[in-house]
Amino acid sequence: MNLTIDAKSPLPVYQQVIQAIKLEVLSGGLRDGDPLPSIRDLAKLLKLNPNTVAKAYYALEQEGFSEGRSGSGSRVKAPPGRQDALRRAMLESEWRSFLEKAVSLGFSLEDIKLLAEGIKK
Amino acid sequence: MSQPIIEARDLSLSFSRRQVLDGLSSAFQKGEWAVIAGRNGAGKSTLLRLLAGVLLPDAGAVERSLEAPMAKIGFISDRLSLFEDWTIARAVSFHCRVFAITEFDDSLVRRLGIGTKSRIRSLSAGERAILHLSLVLAQKPTLLLVDEVLHMLDPYIRDLFVEALIEAIAVRETAVLTINHTFSEIERLPDRVLVMEQGRFSVDETPEALRGLMKKVVSRESLPEGVPCFFRKTEGEYKEYFIYPFHEELRTKHALDFQDIALPEIIKAFIGGGYEQKRMA
Repeated sequence: MNLTIDAKSPLPVYQQVIQAIKLEVLSGGLRDGDPLPSIRDLAKLLKLNPNTVAKAYYALEQEGFSEGRSGSGSRVKAPPGRQDALRRAMLESEWRSFLEKAVSLGFSLEDIKLLAEGIKK
Repeated sequence: MSQPIIEARDLSLSFSRRQVLDGLSSAFQKGEWAVIAGRNGAGKSTLLRLLAGVLLPDAGAVERSLEAPMAKIGFISDRLSLFEDWTIARAVSFHCRVFAITEFDDSLVRRLGIGTKSRIRSLSAGERAILHLSLVLAQKPTLLLVDEVLHMLDPYIRDLFVEALIEAIAVRETAVLTINHTFSEIERLPDRVLVMEQGRFSVDETPEALRGLMKKVVSRESLPEGVPCFFRKTEGEYKEYFIYPFHEELRTKHALDFQDIALPEIIKAFIGGGYEQKRMA
């Protein structure tokens, strides 16, 4: 398992935990039906407040990403179709922050399109 | 919100002519990690000693819930008082007898390779902290009060110490109150950050809320009217302005670069501002 939290990131820590678990699912580190680490273990591994991990697990459950009681015996729920949608959503969110940065540097959408075409070649 | 595990009501206390606490009130919940910050002499340690019940206030009261009787409150301080001549084995058996503890978990002490026949006098600061923590955890505490201990531990022992606190919250919903000067190691941990100033809490926020409330502007110019500056630091020709309380409207009104800052720097600004207020007073 390769879960990392960036203390410097402006993203709230519990959202980073959610992202990290989702990435783990996409990279195949966690598969459909695998048990999630217990709140206590993950909190100790990542040096996080157990309340933060619990909040992330609750959100994952709400999104339908896990099932079972949080903490003990919570399992990953990620059928293959769902993973494609997730992959796309993550790319879109990266893309949005890239666009924001590019626009703040003064690039137009046309510039970005040309850049993308240049990379494709 | 459920009933607090411990509550400070209007606490005031003076030492000779110096007023240390001045009508301080706050409540702490089960399973919550609260960090108390503030400049030296702000009254943080005094507050913890009042909550622990080893000191009594001049006015006001500390209300402990039924789940937090004195025997369930663990107090760890950097001025650890242990019986220097005793061996570890004797200290453990004494502690267990006093608190009617039947099970003592010595795994932390063993991990440091300390023999039970060693005298307490011969322990390093970190070894003492771990021994003290093990003793206190054996009480199965519902409230842990930790007075600035982390800064004197080496990185390995600090990890052990922090993991033990995490475990206490996860397993028993222990409420944890820590006083900290160095924030970088624990910045992701607290649920709540409180800053003490003039014998009260001047700030009581979640870390997320604090990051939203304080921003930094670095500039050679002075700040325009209407931008609230809590603390200012001069670096050569440049000034660092710490803007508090910040609200998003300021971005639309002023063409300034309001930068996000991390928790350790936010705390530093609050403490720096505290010294400024003290100077002005």
